[in-house]
Amino acid sequence: MKYILPKHELNSLLERWSVGHAVLAPQKVGAYTEFLPFGAQSELCLEEPHNTRFPPKALFFPQSEAILKYKRNTGQLENIEVEPEKRIIFGIRPCDAKAVALLDTVFAEGENQDPFWLARRAETLLIGLGCHEPCATCFCTSADSGPFNTEGLDALLTDLGSEYMVELLSERAAGLFDGLAHASPAQQKSAQTAQTAAEHAMPKAFELDGLKDKLDRVFDEEIWAQLAQSCLGCGVCTFLCPTCFCFDLVDETQRDTRVRNWDTCMYRVYSLEASAHNPRPTRKERTRQRLMHKYSYWWDHAGKLGCTGCGRCVRYCPVGLDIRAMIRKAGAYESEVLHAN
Amino acid sequence: MPTNPSPRNPYQPTPMRVLRAYYESTDRSLKTLELSFENQADRVAFFQKFNPGQFCQLSVFGKGESPLGVASAAWEGDFVRFTIQRMGAVTKALHNLKPGDTLGMRGPLGNGFPLADWKGKNLVIIGGGCAFSTLYALTKHVQHPKNRPDFAQLVVIYGARSSGLCMYKHDIQSWYQRDDMEVHQAIDVPEETWDHHVGYVPDVVKQIAPSPVNAVAIVCGPPIMTKFTLPALVSLGFPPEAIYTSLEKRMKCGIGKCGRCNIGSKFICKDGPVFSLAELNALPADI
Repeated sequence: MKYILPKHELNSLLERWSVGHAVLAPQKVGAYTEFLPFGAQSELCLEEPHNTRFPPKALFFPQSEAILKYKRNTGQLENIEVEPEKRIIFGIRPCDAKAVALLDTVFAEGENQDPFWLARRAETLLIGLGCHEPCATCFCTSADSGPFNTEGLDALLTDLGSEYMVELLSERAAGLFDGLAHASPAQQKSAQTAQTAAEHAMPKAFELDGLKDKLDRVFDEEIWAQLAQSCLGCGVCTFLCPTCFCFDLVDETQRDTRVRNWDTCMYRVYSLEASAHNPRPTRKERTRQRLMHKYSYWWDHAGKLGCTGCGRCVRYCPVGLDIRAMIRKAGAYESEVLHAN
Repeated sequence: MPTNPSPRNPYQPTPMRVLRAYYESTDRSLKTLELSFENQADRVAFFQKFNPGQFCQLSVFGKGESPLGVASAAWEGDFVRFTIQRMGAVTKALHNLKPGDTLGMRGPLGNGFPLADWKGKNLVIIGGGCAFSTLYALTKHVQHPKNRPDFAQLVVIYGARSSGLCMYKHDIQSWYQRDDMEVHQAIDVPEETWDHHVGYVPDVVKQIAPSPVNAVAIVCGPPIMTKFTLPALVSLGFPPEAIYTSLEKRMKCGIGKCGRCNIGSKFICKDGPVFSLAELNALPADI
């Protein structure tokens, strides 16, 4: 089902949704955008093509979250139940919605599903906004996604200038667009044109076909040391990554609470063992882990690439390391260096 | 899109109580805790799932969690045994626990030893240091009259740096009297009253030279011991499919979510900790 939403009616639509839902939408905070609660005074930031700085995974898997309360002296436990409110996340970009769907394979499938993730997921609708003007750092089309990819979304908006075309994608979102006019064939066609143009505007960052095997074969090679040479090990690439999910469990002694915090494989202590042995002692091994996890191990775990091409790690790296170039170099290492002679 | 939002909190430990606590080593670096269940339902659930070679996350509330291998067999009683090397904040707090104290436990976690695949085989059990604890659980399991007929010969090779660091002393001493098993103990350097092997475990293994015929070898020890014992077994003729080891990594969740214990696409906590050498050879060298 496809609808037309005139831009001047957007705010009243979000206001309507606000009855019964918390509506979160991208808004300017300083130089960046963030998903914040929508209110009468909110100024939405939908025109700028770039993404929020903080990945929306945080709306389901907060950077720091209590997972257990206990009484230190008696050992008495108090379970923490998550009772999330009904939410609509409006204006999420397709790369980030896909990342949420990817993280379902970690937290919501198989044994030992994560109750915190599941509870928030079940109560949240994702209304996406396609990217008619992708950034220079974006590479979703190379990463098995695209500027109008619908994975993980309940509805997708395409900007048509003075209006949006809304494509309804799930039953759960069915009531949200009641009362809107249906999109005419001409409007659907211009949406299609905008989508194709955006896809074509994005250069190929690397060839995904056969890449996993190429990376697997150079695991023991020196290329990783070269790629990691200018890395500071700050971890910003992993904290801002919408698909990174590693966490630490720590006891906050003063609050009698066990907390789950985001963690990063880019830090030395991440893999440091009690015996002082560290399987990833330098940034070479840690950089390799980060790239191999996304571009090789994800395929083994979930049958999918673990990167959606959102470009945050490229945009925010303080030394300008570009995952696209790193992947290109690692992928070409075998043929260009090892077999060059 | 997930729809069932109410599974059990997998990070919530079950309440346990210290039944017995005693030092294993003369330097007090190793302590054994035997824990009983506070709730019968937890006990039943634990023993339904338990297999030697598995581990648990022990919680001291206010300090954190530590992954530790189970050192007891199910038939030994309604308790779970752990031998803990004092290393950091959590293991220090575990050492300070006294009988009657409460703590938390999550588990059993991981795969454990593939006992069904080992039916009818000779078992060569090779351990070093405190990593012998899960092999102790395995030996105890095999020794039970009900389980013993499932396996052929049983050889245990156990090394420690010194006699003072040897664990489960009295019990292991009694194994020499058993006619259904062979025991070899070793320490690194000679001591006056020591009348067993002297030398590093890989060398002792070469010296004893267990036969690879219809046998599996199970190796648990510090990385350096494992590193040299695996090739020793290969040169004795053990195929990689018949050599098993149990790995350790820094772990947090124990259920394949927190991400940190991976080797390639395998998580030690979920897909291991027990792997055959053949399986390890197929993984990247990220150990």
